[in-house]
Amino acid sequence: MADPVFYDLCVHCAPDGKSTQEEMVAMARHLGFGGIALTNHSNSDSLPKGSSDKGFEVLRGVELVSSNPSKLHGIVGKYRKKVEILAVHGGDEGINRAAVENPNVDILLHPGTPKGCGLNHVLAKSASDNNVAIAFDMASLIMLRGGRRVHSLSHFREILALARKYDVPFLLTNNASFSYGLRAPREMMALATLFGMERGEALMALSETPAEIIRRVRRGNNFICEGVEILEDDPSGMKGEDK
Amino acid sequence: MKILPPTQRTNKRYFAFELIGGNGVDRSDLLREIFSCAGSLIGDRGSSECNIRLLDFEDSKGVVRCLRERMDMTRAVLASVTSVNGNPVMVHVLGISGTVHGATKKYLEGCTVYSPEEKP
Repeated sequence: MADPVFYDLCVHCAPDGKSTQEEMVAMARHLGFGGIALTNHSNSDSLPKGSSDKGFEVLRGVELVSSNPSKLHGIVGKYRKKVEILAVHGGDEGINRAAVENPNVDILLHPGTPKGCGLNHVLAKSASDNNVAIAFDMASLIMLRGGRRVHSLSHFREILALARKYDVPFLLTNNASFSYGLRAPREMMALATLFGMERGEALMALSETPAEIIRRVRRGNNFICEGVEILEDDPSGMKGEDK
Repeated sequence: MKILPPTQRTNKRYFAFELIGGNGVDRSDLLREIFSCAGSLIGDRGSSECNIRLLDFEDSKGVVRCLRERMDMTRAVLASVTSVNGNPVMVHVLGISGTVHGATKKYLEGCTVYSPEEKP
């Protein structure tokens, strides 16, 4: 079996984080990732450049921050054409709900609210229907200590139970804002076992699920719906074949 | 005391790791940090189950021993190490082996520790 390619779809670089884009990319590469998405916060107002070189992909992304659920749909529409990965900064019940109900959103990040895990059966079901992936944020296990980490772990447990029940896609992300905040994929898988994630699930969350999201956002204008695509004749291409 | 017969011994695994950003960190500093992280993440009971031991540590490279059944937990503890003496560090596991010799030979010999400050 070929080695899986790992992706981290939530990384912040300068000016959002402390490390520059180059430092983040170099570190992620060293740690064994096959690609990352740079998702700076939308209110820091800078879109990083995407690039793809020598087997390492850097995707342009954004983490939308909004305090008003009804405005969120507006900014989702505004950014959808500009970026590849569209993530929403969760953490508020209204925002979580708006994010999972919008099929244009790719990822809902850290949905945990101060009161609970931020998801329930209704939200999990619409996340599954609209194919919005829920991200498990490893930074809250690495950087936090004491009670706050305990809460994160128990929220992750609840989210995982809902995700399994309703078949919601989920991701493991570092949510790192400086290069030392990144962790290697295998370390992330080990951290994920702390809240009961199986090895196979963690592998999916790091490789297949993000690859699926990337495939989805990269498909062209000819795509109609799952399984239906317009195929155009390419006369120049045909000629080339005849010769 | 007589040593245990081989069948009675516990199975262990050895993590070969590099400490990124760990210039000038010595063994006792790292040891203290690992045990404090283990204490806060999995508690004293969990730590005792893992049987974590820092074997050698030199030039930002080292070997950690743990119980075979607690590999994931130990790895999670190593991942939760964020700083030593106030400087940011990262423990990057290079490989796992069943013997110290294997871990050192296969993963540590001839490897240079990655440094984010230097351009590759």
